[in-house]
Amino acid sequence: MDILSILFYLVASVIILSSIALIVVNNTVHAALLLVLIFFNSAILWLMLQAEFLAIVLVLVYVGAVLVLFLFVIMLLDIQVKKNISKKMYLLFSVFISLIMFIELYMVIFYHDFASIQKEITISELGNTYDIGLSLFTNYIFSFEVTAFILLVAIIAAIAINLNVKQRSLKQNPGKQVLESKESRLKILKDEEL
Amino acid sequence: MITMTHYLVFSLLLFCISIAGIFINRKNILLLLMSIELMLLSVNTNFIVFSHFSNDITGQVFVFFILAVAAAESAIGLAIIVALYRVKNSIEINLINKLKG
Repeated sequence: MDILSILFYLVASVIILSSIALIVVNNTVHAALLLVLIFFNSAILWLMLQAEFLAIVLVLVYVGAVLVLFLFVIMLLDIQVKKNISKKMYLLFSVFISLIMFIELYMVIFYHDFASIQKEITISELGNTYDIGLSLFTNYIFSFEVTAFILLVAIIAAIAINLNVKQRSLKQNPGKQVLESKESRLKILKDEEL
Repeated sequence: MITMTHYLVFSLLLFCISIAGIFINRKNILLLLMSIELMLLSVNTNFIVFSHFSNDITGQVFVFFILAVAAAESAIGLAIIVALYRVKNSIEINLINKLKG
């Protein structure tokens, strides 16, 4: 067994064990920290597959931004840790479903000849980041711009959902003024009604 | 020697565990979101494995897009959770019935 195999088995077993711990632990903070561990180990795995750029992006963007966001939300919400009252039936059901999926997909993996699509692995002279950039800015430039737009939409949506505007100062609302009609302000009363 | 099958079985295991996680933690919406992140991670690993072994950079470009969309998705999801907490004072899933669906 060479050093890369040992590293693969170590990293993969850490990821699998901590993901099992993530789904059975009740404490949300512990789950978020386990997710950090899983993402770090996945970054190591991606480095072993020579995807350096994406490994760094995973650590910087995911661990640095998304999981910190998770931790912030957990901190802000003050959730009391409740005992998971999932019935035993649900646990059995979930294990059953995932076992069926595992067996089916395992058969697909083992009876498919993946060796036929494997090619000679060449290490790019220019580097992984250069290759991704070249592909991104030539063939996939439109998708790249759409992604930028999606991120803009996400920013605006996240702010708009949580923005509650309080009126602190007295100011005129021109739209409301224009929409105002005579009937809404003036009411003509007859003599008998007075 | 680590072959393609090793990596594929690994990401398959991760995917099945996170499927089970969605069933087990159906009371806690934050853990549900984390299980979805885990599923996306296993799918991304699959993409990178195929990209590496077929010597094609396109798979990694796709992972880049998936990462961006997943980040947007979890940001909006967490914003919805915060807004929900403000209205309901709790984030339990069985209390989310405002729309009476």
